[in-house]
Amino acid sequence: MIDSHRSMTTQRFLASLNYIYLLLVMFVIAGILTTAMTLQYVKGELPCPLCLLERVAMLGVCFGIMLNFRRGFSYQNTGFSLLFTIVLLVIAVRQTLLDIYPRPGHEYIGSAIFGIHMPVWSIIIALCLLTAYAIKLAILGGDEYLRGAEPSEFPAIKKIADIMILYVIAICVINLVSVILQCGFGECHTFNYKLLQ
Amino acid sequence: MMVAVFAAMTLALICGWFGSRTLAVALFFGCLVLSIGLFLFEIYSPESGFRMPWIQTEIDGTPQVRS
Repeated sequence: MIDSHRSMTTQRFLASLNYIYLLLVMFVIAGILTTAMTLQYVKGELPCPLCLLERVAMLGVCFGIMLNFRRGFSYQNTGFSLLFTIVLLVIAVRQTLLDIYPRPGHEYIGSAIFGIHMPVWSIIIALCLLTAYAIKLAILGGDEYLRGAEPSEFPAIKKIADIMILYVIAICVINLVSVILQCGFGECHTFNYKLLQ
Repeated sequence: MMVAVFAAMTLALICGWFGSRTLAVALFFGCLVLSIGLFLFEIYSPESGFRMPWIQTEIDGTPQVRS
């Protein structure tokens, strides 16, 4: 009986760790997107099409995490996040290869943060996400208790997660408006906001 | 096209928060397909695409001579 209670306590602890992990991932991605948007609106560095696709990929990772908090934990939702993590990695690698030796007239890369440009940061972010998911799966495993623990069982985590999700949705809406202004309904360019001319 | 990608993702997130999971997931996959399509367009478009001719060695017919 005592062993069973202890086991339940351990499982609940591991489930809470799982939700804290997801919350941290979303927090980091929201921070990265906020930084990118600050560079865009404060320094006037318009994002290139591949940069915008990288933002979408990060929002896609958040989508899987959001479903985990809104509808309960599921490995299908983890799959959604991993799909866009791979998309992020592929786009970022391609963009970095491009930026190593830019095509004449297309030398625009943007500011460096801690000495590293955003496409390279995107590769690091994607690799960190993949590594973090791999470590989480290795440590917490695919056990039933993770799916059995509802987010509502952890009210403090759920409350912070809800605020963070709303913030991510707000970021996405702002980016949508920004993309409409920058690209109109055609191709995107980094010269200026097309609809503000 | 980029607007469609962001619109799909925005709607997916909003549906995930308010609406049905099925619709949210459908929009999510729509966004995924649009993103991949746009990415392929961007890198293969001969006019505005991000081609990398300096690594397309097959078009370089000049033999390299080493002294």
